[in-house]
Amino acid sequence: MYVESQVATTAPRLPGKLPLTAILLWLGALAASAAPWLPELDLLSVVSAFWSYDGSDYSSVLAHFSWAPRVSIALLIGCGLGLAGAVTQQVLGNPLASPTTLGVEAGGQFGVTLATLFAPALLAFSQDLVAVAGGLLAIGMVVALTWRLGFSPVTVILAGLVITFFMGALNMAFLLIKGEWLGNLFIWGAGSLVQNSWQPFMDLWPRVLILGAALVLLMRPLQLLQLGQASASSLGARVGLLRMLALFLVVLMSATVVSRVGVVAFVGLAAPVLARLLGARTLQERLFWSTLLGGGLLLLADTLAHWASSWGDGSLVPTGTTMALIGGPIILLALQGFKNTHHMPGQESNPGAFLPKRRSVLVTGAVLLCLLLVTFFVSMGWSPGLQDWSWTPITDWGEAWVWRGPRLLAAILAGVCLGLAGSLIQRMTGNVMASPELLGISGGAALVMVLIVLTGTEIGRAGQLGAATLGAAAALGLLILLARRHRFAGNQLLLGGLALYVFMDSGLRLVMASGGTVAAKLLNWMYGATWLISETEALSLLGLTLVICLGLFVAIRPLTLLALGDTSASSLGLPVTRARLGLLVLAAILTAAATVVIGPLSFVGLIAPHLARVLGQQTVGRQMIISALAGGLLLALADYLSRIVIFPSQLPAGLLAALVGGIYFLWGLSRHGRA
Amino acid sequence: MCTSSPFTNPVFTNPLLTKPLARITAGLCLLLLSATAAAQTWQHEQGRVSLDEPPQRIVALNWAATEALLLLGVTPVGVADKSGYATWVREPVLPDHVPNIGTRVAPSLEAIAELEPDLIITSSEMAPAADLLQQIAPTYVSSVYKKGSQPFAKARQMLITLGEMLDREDRAREILADIDTTLADQRRRLEAHGAHKRPVALVSFLDDRHVRIFAPNGLYQTTLDGLGLDNVWPHDGNYWGFSTVGLEAIAPYPDGRIVVIEPTQPGLSDNLAQSPFWTYLPAVQRSQVYQIEPVWPFGAVFPVKRLAIQLTDALIQGGSDNVR
Repeated sequence: MYVESQVATTAPRLPGKLPLTAILLWLGALAASAAPWLPELDLLSVVSAFWSYDGSDYSSVLAHFSWAPRVSIALLIGCGLGLAGAVTQQVLGNPLASPTTLGVEAGGQFGVTLATLFAPALLAFSQDLVAVAGGLLAIGMVVALTWRLGFSPVTVILAGLVITFFMGALNMAFLLIKGEWLGNLFIWGAGSLVQNSWQPFMDLWPRVLILGAALVLLMRPLQLLQLGQASASSLGARVGLLRMLALFLVVLMSATVVSRVGVVAFVGLAAPVLARLLGARTLQERLFWSTLLGGGLLLLADTLAHWASSWGDGSLVPTGTTMALIGGPIILLALQGFKNTHHMPGQESNPGAFLPKRRSVLVTGAVLLCLLLVTFFVSMGWSPGLQDWSWTPITDWGEAWVWRGPRLLAAILAGVCLGLAGSLIQRMTGNVMASPELLGISGGAALVMVLIVLTGTEIGRAGQLGAATLGAAAALGLLILLARRHRFAGNQLLLGGLALYVFMDSGLRLVMASGGTVAAKLLNWMYGATWLISETEALSLLGLTLVICLGLFVAIRPLTLLALGDTSASSLGLPVTRARLGLLVLAAILTAAATVVIGPLSFVGLIAPHLARVLGQQTVGRQMIISALAGGLLLALADYLSRIVIFPSQLPAGLLAALVGGIYFLWGLSRHGRA
Repeated sequence: MCTSSPFTNPVFTNPLLTKPLARITAGLCLLLLSATAAAQTWQHEQGRVSLDEPPQRIVALNWAATEALLLLGVTPVGVADKSGYATWVREPVLPDHVPNIGTRVAPSLEAIAELEPDLIITSSEMAPAADLLQQIAPTYVSSVYKKGSQPFAKARQMLITLGEMLDREDRAREILADIDTTLADQRRRLEAHGAHKRPVALVSFLDDRHVRIFAPNGLYQTTLDGLGLDNVWPHDGNYWGFSTVGLEAIAPYPDGRIVVIEPTQPGLSDNLAQSPFWTYLPAVQRSQVYQIEPVWPFGAVFPVKRLAIQLTDALIQGGSDNVR
């Protein structure tokens, strides 16, 4: 599966920079970690802190029971996750696979959250058990969904990403409802390696060692996999079983780690990626160097976290944050390094194979519009009171509009914007799986917003919209720049989206660890708290959407022509660069407007255009109209449900949309596999 | 009255002209009079609120406001996160029949409107929603906790303003005076027992590795100042007045006593007992770990009193070498 690695097997030659980097990384991180101790203890006592302490000197006690176990656990976990990541990549033949991208960590987190809330006894009995169960659930879903596609690399990552979002959304739902009770889960979710005894390390090392040894034992048969499934089978290796076994061990490794120190994501992705970037070619090399680099990277991240917290006001900076900050650039760096030999799932389906019966745009549109109106009427009229459900008489709607109208209107408009943005992006990239959410365009908008919250700036809605638009445009521009050579296909786009998601995630983790209430507020916004929207804001959003819709009329021709390829388009008289730029800006504004209202993770930008195709709309204009209506309908429903399901509490509407959207996407993926 | 006199200005002799004018003038006068007499206006963080008479049906969207109302002897008609209040705030007691109107971060406007309040009390955390709330009922915005605010001063001011609005100003002043007296009394008790000398670290455990430590910019500092105690933690925290830190962050302050605010997790004391890091902590070695019942750190004025009494009791009673 790796063309370049097969070549390298015949002529193994390890570049010198790899060992050099690993040594520098370890020594540098260790030195940086030990540095703050040197004023208090001499070098010898710092080194000996790993095995002894002097009871009369509290600094020495502290070094032995707080610092040394922290360093040891960082190295241990880093090595374990680095190895697990490299094995995952090998098993799935996928340069982007890792426990993080397959949803294992999100699954483990979900398991622990559920157990904390509903079965604390189970948690007390064994924290590993629930984390492993959650991890297995996540990876099981990914495997089941992508089985038929023969684990086609990008499909696996897409499924993993969506399951990560999905489980993350479920997790958030619980955190939001029960926030005050789950203060520790916020920290745990952010990943903190703080230690105050050797106990966790002592518990962990035999497990990591045994799992690691088992994974290494699988190396020889795994190497056969490198020759491709067909030849491996003929050599007698039972490919399917081996893969399952290896993945099971990977889940055990990550879930064990997750249950003890919290979610330290991206080590398992960054370490193997770095090893490959630095020139590890053969399987042995990749496993070995990923393991070492994983340990070094995590220690570095943890040291940075420790330093950042002592430079600041002393409050905790979670290691999950710094790891994501280090991991993001490595992944971005890797973008240029990978050969694009894979396809995104949408790419392969040639339009001929995926053409539902054409339907009249008028009839379909009218049906959707009717449904939208019905939703509107029900949402305005039928509501749960503090005592009982009741219809609000139409004469009282003027009053009820205040608390039901603006949010509903804004939700519909956000849906319309996302439907349009999704269609635009799919057409621009020629890929039916592309969407603002999965490509990280919403993530770019959200990243800017998270930064604004972190810095504590108050800028109002218009400022938010402007900032979010900039973020979305930057993300989209970056993606287009990166992916241009590859004609918007394959890993580069996804990877870019992933890296942006990583950055956004790191900001979120920092806020989450710092305090429950602030985090709950931010999470409410991230998952689309439509209830905060005022009438003026809803109306100005309406104006903005109308203006953009006018702009889109002009965009239909360029969109149709661009699909024919740059050369044909320019020969037909289209100024390609300018057209692309214009479309980019439109898509960015649409995404940003929706993100400000509904948050970055609603999946509507993915589902709505897809629905439009399923409903038989193929030309650009028709797809856009139907997709806009479908998007509006989806979010109108989500908004209504968010208001009533746990009345008088409410869930963010975007969260509900993400749950529904996640299920729809997974269903679509499995259907796609069958076709 | 002047219509019959032939010598008066003809303009005023015409009853058709005088009557409406007089009415309007009288009406205007009345309106002005009643406005100055009854309707009062208070400035708040996002505008002003005018009330003709003391409000009867009040909805409180955070626990600081709920607490302030209950202290003034007014039961709100709706509160946010009702069940949490009973667990975390406890005092003053919230009657059971008060309906819940949703969570503190996302209350249900629908439920608020159904209660037909004549006053809503919220904080600037809900800033974007203030307009919507204003359309339901007059809304008073007061944030005890926001960037750069001094919680106790702000909470005092909120209590007094609410006292004015509800025509219970005297009560508000009594409450504040009582808190000052309590602080002074407890301070004397501490000094009498010689229990005021070492600084204290106020922490609540999040798990066996992390604590929230209460910072000098928080509400609890008022209690510490009032009792004449020093806070070991030198840094300002977030605007809620705490920092989330690893447990090792309290190690550099060997002089401090450790005050643990409940709730603590089951199994915490066993875990700590097994950790020499904890057992070697100077405060633990001196048996200066104290434990007190839950006190809501993000409340209004009352937690200051509650903490003062509990803290004094605990410090006088003497500490142990572990949490319970």
